[in-house]
Order: sequence, then structure tokens, then C-alpha cells
Amino acid sequence: MKVAYYPGCVAQESGKELDMATRWVAPRLGIELVDFPNFSCCGSGFIDEANPTLNVALNARNLAIAEKAGLDLLTVCSTCQGMLALANDRLADPAMRGRVDGALSQIGVTYRGTTKVTHLLKVLTESIGPEKLRALVKRPLTGLKVGAFYGCHLLRPADRVGSESAEEPHSFEDLITALGATPVMYRGRVMCCGFPILFVKEGTANRIAGRQLEDAKAHGAHALATPCPLCHLSLDAYQNKAEKAVGQDLDLPVFHLPQLVGLALGATPGELGLPRHLVDTESALRHIGAVAVPT
Amino acid sequence: MPGELVEAPIEVYRFDPATDKAPRYERHVLSLAPHTPVLTALLRIRAEEDPTLSLRYSCRSAICGSCAMLINSKSRLACQTPIGPEIERHGRIVVDPMRNQPVLRDLVTEMTPFWSQYRRIEPHLIADPAHPMPEGRPTSMTPAQVERFRETPRCIACAACYSACPAVEADPMFPGPMALAKLYRFVVDPRDGATRERLVRIQPNGLWLCLRCHLCTEACPKGVRPSERIMDLKELAIAAQGATDPGSRHAVAFKENIRERGVLNELKLARQTAGTAGFLAQLPQGVRIARRKPELSKTPPTIAGKEEVEKLYEALDDGGSSA
Repeated sequence: MKVAYYPGCVAQESGKELDMATRWVAPRLGIELVDFPNFSCCGSGFIDEANPTLNVALNARNLAIAEKAGLDLLTVCSTCQGMLALANDRLADPAMRGRVDGALSQIGVTYRGTTKVTHLLKVLTESIGPEKLRALVKRPLTGLKVGAFYGCHLLRPADRVGSESAEEPHSFEDLITALGATPVMYRGRVMCCGFPILFVKEGTANRIAGRQLEDAKAHGAHALATPCPLCHLSLDAYQNKAEKAVGQDLDLPVFHLPQLVGLALGATPGELGLPRHLVDTESALRHIGAVAVPT
Repeated sequence: MPGELVEAPIEVYRFDPATDKAPRYERHVLSLAPHTPVLTALLRIRAEEDPTLSLRYSCRSAICGSCAMLINSKSRLACQTPIGPEIERHGRIVVDPMRNQPVLRDLVTEMTPFWSQYRRIEPHLIADPAHPMPEGRPTSMTPAQVERFRETPRCIACAACYSACPAVEADPMFPGPMALAKLYRFVVDPRDGATRERLVRIQPNGLWLCLRCHLCTEACPKGVRPSERIMDLKELAIAAQGATDPGSRHAVAFKENIRERGVLNELKLARQTAGTAGFLAQLPQGVRIARRKPELSKTPPTIAGKEEVEKLYEALDDGGSSA
């Protein structure tokens, strides 16, 4: 399976460990990642707030790059996934289509609208599937209780960007089960991580993150796993602030989706960039007998 | 098969703050047709098993907006939620009062904060003294003008969106999805004379606390899509007032940031949004993160084809909104 790999900004910057883990697991899953140095940012929802047409145009350009190469697009970020899928949805509106096509024509780009955008989570659960995945597992994550944290833009608005029930999704839990771990069901799994307002009103954002973390912990989670590096920033890099906001020690490790897969496929913590996390993952690794590499 | 009944275990939240120390759940098992609305089941419990159960309802037709509650932890209208799919998915039906509002008794919540937020947006037309409405005859709108707020009049003020909203849960200042969707309706109404004032007033501790998580759009039983109306409001707010609130500053700074290299410069964004003082306040946390994630303090490379991105900005963005 050959795909146009769209890592997104954060996976190439502060969330580099997500890119490391993706590049580690992809060949072992039979996924060939093709890089395009000309992909731009998806706008992360912020450009959509300021100028929705520009946001669609930037993503139409990204989609056109993959279309020209004859490849579908693979994302590893719920927000990138949502923004790119939303662009495809919005281009169905003739007025939007006209404005975007007009701008694209000025840079000699045509987008016919054929690029499919798929998140790694869906590739794992649908294209590869739990059966094949189970056969690839070298170190089953038995005993590890993992709460899935989906990230809003992967799920909602369901009729525009969703690929499964936004109210009762189960793909991530299916994956966790296939890797040998035990999924933890908790309300926060489909909630917001607070990231969009982290730089607008930090206290409120921290409270929202803290609420989901304490909910997962109360339901017995040893760790969370997320398909979104922005959720990861809010839940991991700012967990110290979330703890203060809810007045509780949380100390809950948060894995990126491909890191969890990588652990089950036998990667070392160093190969997956786990030492780059702010919340030490060792408490979770102990459950599966994986030794952490000292930072 | 028509006529077939299902065994429906229903667990109902019960709490009277005047007499009870803590809430409890009462379990009832009813035999019901799968299409039976949860509201009908609750009314049967009240009629046949426990007349003390308190709940709000009126029309039973998803028009009055009285019977919003949590059904298997989702904010929904009880009259519009059939029991069959709930039993199929969860094996039982757990009914709780709406979130983000204090419980008065059982399933009845105190909705005063919800209505106060609604009043805050002044949900009525404000005349423009310079353009008085014509006397004695109605003002007219073109179909295109009406089309701009096609969805919002469907709102029945049931508060399902308010109950589902994580920003409301975390911050009492946030007006909530319904109030903002209603505000949108007046902002784009050509007969309203206070568009700019409305957009200015709603920004501090208001509009920009929306997380665009779209949980309100998922909860809304009438297809109002509040989160999308809030996105429209944000664009209009920037057009009216520029980047003046921390939220609008962040959105505009992000847009300008991407223009430079095609990808995000994380460090620079923090500086652009927060200003120098705010940036310094965030510095300790930034240093803490950068110790593990050194890319945070480095300038990212520029994408290939950056000039294409620049041209898209030239074609579609006047750039003046950051002024």
C-alpha cells in the first residue's frame, strides 16, 4: 500500500516522536510512505476561523499534490484529517468551488476532487484489519489498560468528516484490543482536549484537559492513546498545568497512536521517541515488560 | 417484526436536594415496542410505578424543547429518542438530568444560567436610528438574505447543546452554543442596526472560548449546527474589529505565520499571540517542554513551493485583518 504521507506541522516539530513512530511502524505494516516536501499546513482550524476560503484553498492545493501523484493521502493527526476532509466536503458547494478554483488556477494547479484522505487509525482497523494486525504483534500489550482519546476533528461534524459513529466510535478500542491491551471506556474519549483555546484562555483549556484525564484515570486507565498530536500537547506537555487546574495528581502517560502500535510490534521506547514525552511513560511500560531507555 | 416487544431496563437518576444526601438510580424494567420514545417510557414509570418522578415535558413532538436530558450520557430530547437502538447499543437506558446546570429535582434542572446567557446577546432586532423601519408595513428581506440564517430559527432552546458543551462546563463566562447561534442570526439580519456593536461585545470571554469541537452540532436535535454558526461569527468578528481579542489574535497570527514558510513556526506563534509580556509569562513552561522537544525553539524549514502558498494568500486574503 503506497500513500502520500501528510505528517502535518506538529509531527515535524514539537511532536517529532509521532513522525518517528509512524516511520517505524509503516514498513512493518506494509505501508509505503511517499514524502512531498511541498505540502503546506492544514490550517489547524485557526485559519478556518480567520478565512475559511483560504483554508479550503490551502488544503485543495495539498489534495491536488496527492492527486497529481495518483496517491491517496495518509494523515496521522485528527486535526489535519478533519481539515483536509472538510475541504473535500466544502468543495461540493459551487460558490466555494469557484473561488478556490480561481485561486488555484493562478498557480497552475487543478484539483479534480478525487483524493481520499485517510487517517492511520482507519488504515489500521479497516485496510489492514485486526486479524492481520494480531498476526504482526510480537509483544502483546497484555495487562495494559488504555483509554482511547479520539480528537474532535476525526469524528465531527460526522456528516462532513466522519467515517464512523461520532457518538459511539469503536475503531480505536478495536485496535487497542487487537494489540492485546484492554480498552477503557470513559466519557472523555470523544470529548475535547482543550487545545484550541490553550493560547486564548489557558486556565480553561487546562481544566478541560484535566477533566478528561481524571475521567480516564477514574475508569482505571494506565495510559491514554491519541491519534492527534494537538491532543497530545494538551494532555501530555501541559499535563502539569491540567493537574493544577483540577487539583489532582494525574501522572497519566499519553501515547501517540503509532507508538502504541510500535510497542506491540516490538519497537524499543527510544525508537518511538517515548523519552520526548513530558509525562514519563515508564509506569505504563512496566505493565507490558518494555524497558524504558533512560533520557 | 411488528408488534414485537423488547425488555427495556431503564435506570433513572433520582435526587431531591431538599431531602436526599446523594443522588441514586432507580431501575425499572418495562416491556416496550422498540420505537417507543424514552419520554413515553418515563411517563409510564411515573403513571404506573412512581408518581414522584419529576421531569419536564410538554409537546412530545420535538417542538417545545422541554424534555432534553442525558440518555446513555448523550444530551438528547427524550421524546425523539426511541428505546430500541439504545437497548441494542448499551443493553440498558441510563437517564440523567442535563449537564452544566444544577439539579432542582430528578430530571429537572435549573435553567436560569442558560437563559441569562441568552439574554446577554440581546435576542431581538435592534433598530438603526439612521435607517428607521418603515412604519405601518413589514420590512422585507430577499430570499438570499434569509438563506444566510436558514438553520437558526429552527432552534427550540432545549439546551441540549449547552449540556453537551465542554467550554460551558469549564468556564462560566462562555455564552454557550445556543446563545452564539442566535447571535449569528441577528448579526446577519439586514434589518438589525447593531451588527458591529454585537460583534465587539461578544468577543471578550465569549466567542473565542468556543473549542470548535462540534459536540453542540452533534447534540442539536434540530440541525441548527451551532458550531458552524460560531465559525461564521468568528470570521465576521475579525472583519469587524480585526485581531483584538486573544482568540482573534491567535487565529490571525496563525494565518500570517503559515504565510511565511508554509508550515507552522511554533515558537513565533506563541510570541505573536501572547505579545511580549504574555510570551514571557509562558516562558517557563516553554523551556520545560523544549528540554524534551528541542524543535520547539528552532525555526522550521520553508516548504518547497512556498511561492504558491503566497499567491493563494494574495488571491484570497486581503491581509488587512491583522492590522
